[in-house]
Amino acid sequence: MRGVPAALRRAGPARWLAVPVGLVVAGVAVPLVYLVLRAAEADPAALATLVWRPRTLRLAGHTAGLAAAVVAVATLVAAPLAWLAARAETPRFPRAFRRFVTAAGVLPLALPGYVMATALLGATGPRGLLAGWPGVVLPRPAGFWGALAVLTLSTFPYLFLNLRSALAGLDPVSEDAARSLGLGRWAVARRVVVPQLRPAWLAGALLVALHVVGDFGVVSLVRFETFSGAIYVQYTASYDRVYAAALALMLLALTVAILAAEARLLGAARFARGEAARRPERIRLGWGALPAVTFAAAVAVAAVGVPLATLVFWLGRGPVDGPRVFVALANSVSAAAPAALVATLLAVPVAVVGVRRPGGMGRRTARAVERVAYLGYATPPLALALAVVAFAVRAAPFAYQTLGLLVAAYVVHFLAEAVGPVRSALLQAPPAAEWAARSLGRSPLGAFRGATLPQLRGGLATSAAFVFLSVLKELPITLLLAPLGFTSLAAGVWSAAGEALYATAAPYALVIVVVAGALVALLLGRDR
Amino acid sequence: MRPFLLLLFAAAALGACGSDSSSTGAASGATSDADGPLVIYSGRKDVLVGPLVERFERETGIDVEVKYGTDAALLATVAEEGASSPADVFWANTEGALVAAAPRLMALPDSLTSRPAAFAADSGRWVPITTRFRVLAIAPSRIDTSALPASVMGLPGVAALRSRIGWTPTYSSFQDFISAMRATEGEPATVAWLDGMKALQPRAYESNAPMLEALEAGEIDVALTNHYYVLRLLEGGEEGEVESEEEEAAERAAEEAAEAHGDAEDRPDVAMHHFAAGDVGNLALVTGAGVFTASRRPTAAMRFLAFLLSPEAQAFAAEEVHEYPVVRGTALPGYMMPFDRAVALGPDLDASALSSLDETLALLRGRDLL
Repeated sequence: MRGVPAALRRAGPARWLAVPVGLVVAGVAVPLVYLVLRAAEADPAALATLVWRPRTLRLAGHTAGLAAAVVAVATLVAAPLAWLAARAETPRFPRAFRRFVTAAGVLPLALPGYVMATALLGATGPRGLLAGWPGVVLPRPAGFWGALAVLTLSTFPYLFLNLRSALAGLDPVSEDAARSLGLGRWAVARRVVVPQLRPAWLAGALLVALHVVGDFGVVSLVRFETFSGAIYVQYTASYDRVYAAALALMLLALTVAILAAEARLLGAARFARGEAARRPERIRLGWGALPAVTFAAAVAVAAVGVPLATLVFWLGRGPVDGPRVFVALANSVSAAAPAALVATLLAVPVAVVGVRRPGGMGRRTARAVERVAYLGYATPPLALALAVVAFAVRAAPFAYQTLGLLVAAYVVHFLAEAVGPVRSALLQAPPAAEWAARSLGRSPLGAFRGATLPQLRGGLATSAAFVFLSVLKELPITLLLAPLGFTSLAAGVWSAAGEALYATAAPYALVIVVVAGALVALLLGRDR
Repeated sequence: MRPFLLLLFAAAALGACGSDSSSTGAASGATSDADGPLVIYSGRKDVLVGPLVERFERETGIDVEVKYGTDAALLATVAEEGASSPADVFWANTEGALVAAAPRLMALPDSLTSRPAAFAADSGRWVPITTRFRVLAIAPSRIDTSALPASVMGLPGVAALRSRIGWTPTYSSFQDFISAMRATEGEPATVAWLDGMKALQPRAYESNAPMLEALEAGEIDVALTNHYYVLRLLEGGEEGEVESEEEEAAERAAEEAAEAHGDAEDRPDVAMHHFAAGDVGNLALVTGAGVFTASRRPTAAMRFLAFLLSPEAQAFAAEEVHEYPVVRGTALPGYMMPFDRAVALGPDLDASALSSLDETLALLRGRDLL
């Protein structure tokens, strides 16, 4: 690490980091060990014929192609919105404009992908809800293009949030310098701004890619075959845990490849702001405001408006069992809140190791530690849940079927979502103040708490919100690991929608959307 | 960020309080069962299970807790749990799951196994609870039933259905149907059927509900499915209006009259087509339940099984989810065909035919369908 005072470099890895990071590594290792043990049970010859067939190659191609396409299209949607939200200004109603663009960029996060897919399927086609308008028959989302459309609409907010906070947090000093050296506006954007956005883009793109690779709800509804879809089918439609474990390991291999690519692209990026960084100036949009608002509105209508209208229509078709929905809400929140807290708390040491490399840790090692969290994210949820069952029954029977175990499983699965925002915030936080605090005699933890943590607030809030929302939408882990009698909102949707009882499913789905939307609004109200 | 985190903390604390107070008191029904609630692992959905469990709790005073999931995920869970599994009852959606679970289920007394009129298990370790039938769902406005083959085996020969057929190769009831086909028609004919169907480029759906919607939406013209999905579209599920019996009867009479005149303005463009009697395309698909050998509350568990076979529960399943009862003499809604006629439509099948799921999966994988 350049510029670190020699005394600090010799200090050795901090203990306050070692314990939580050790916990994370152990948590992620449980399902991996389980999968290897299960896959090893297979008769090697039989497994080989199952694994080495054209279908495997097709699944891999579909999965990788879809992930790449979704990242590309989501970037095209998220980047302009992020720029508008962070750097543009309208002559009239600047605040309303900013709020609207930000809402369009974030609110889709409130809709679970499978709800969005189900609602869009119900709204499109010749007999869909939208067909009521004369002349409008939208095609039903299907196959690759359907998966691309739905997954882009439901995941681009991860990129939007990362890019927006990066754009807002960039120190404008380097842009000013470039301008004063004679570069035009576009040249500055291309040569100064875009390169600085790389870590944020990569963090968002990684989440989007892993989300796509791990999705089975959307792809199965729009009939597109991917690894995760195949794994889900293996676990649910047949009784073959062994083949499913083999598929899951292949999926993890794909994830490791994605992580390696991301690490390569990230390189040694670090863009700390100066101590007295200004907020960047906003660019005034003249007539440009019109296409900007239109674009944001189109995104909002497709990703939020249409699905929400479909849900409300379904809601009107049947009675609502209020008390049951409320109990499901209380249960969901009781699991999501602690999971969000614990995941965020654990994400801090993981990100610190990855970014700051305490005790002169090598860059590869530091990054490997950080990326371990992403393996938990990439482990298929059903495999993760079964691993936790197997582990808990043997090692901690008292914890089996408790809320604590459920929360622990959520943390292992969703930690990666918490690491990204913390990492981005950490990359923009100048470490000098922490070194100063250390040299004034503060302990490593004390110096971090006093000097660096306050700068991470925005990142921490985003992390907690990501995990909270994901838990609210999660299904397979909840079904298998929840305490007996525990109902959740997502399970309410699943149980009714699977039987085509959409009026019964609608209130659960709407409550997810409303709670998630409120949380997102809270998040937005917090920063300027 | 402070208020935000505080909010999270508060919610977490609330959750911690809420989760402690659940399920402590056990009102055991004068048995030698262990304390605590009766635990059901249910592959069947809340729509059917929830109300029946509530009635059972009211009638017997026995506390019940249900863990929902898919048959396979629950079976995998029980396998991982081993001897320390908390589960007492397995209530499954498919015969395949019950056959797979049989080694973990205990032998049931004659008083239970003799109740159902048909579909008794060879093993005597589970009882059928309801049955469903395979049908061809069609869009009557686009399909002329006289052009449809008498046997499902003839479906690949209908060239007009190219890319207009829906099926669910990854879904358990379809796989049971293929197992039955292998038993009645033989392996080569099954392979030929699958290849013939694939040549017609059918659309594969993940499950039946979205497939029926696609049929309604005009994406396909026919769909290989189960009878109750069609009835649910036509007659409504448990959701919607709570009607008195007279209202229901009047409505039904009106509907039947409308159907007789071939006019169905408001009704979905969906109908059921049965193949000729004895055809494998009319296969009966049984749901059922059993008691785990590891159960610590076997008496309560047996009582629950007996309750599921009671006239009350049997009639409830018919009315609410349009499935056929297995106990003779249960009253059926007017739009369902009489039980004996439905059973007679199905193929003559050896009871163990559906236990060869592994071979069926291998076959489907070999045809690149799974």
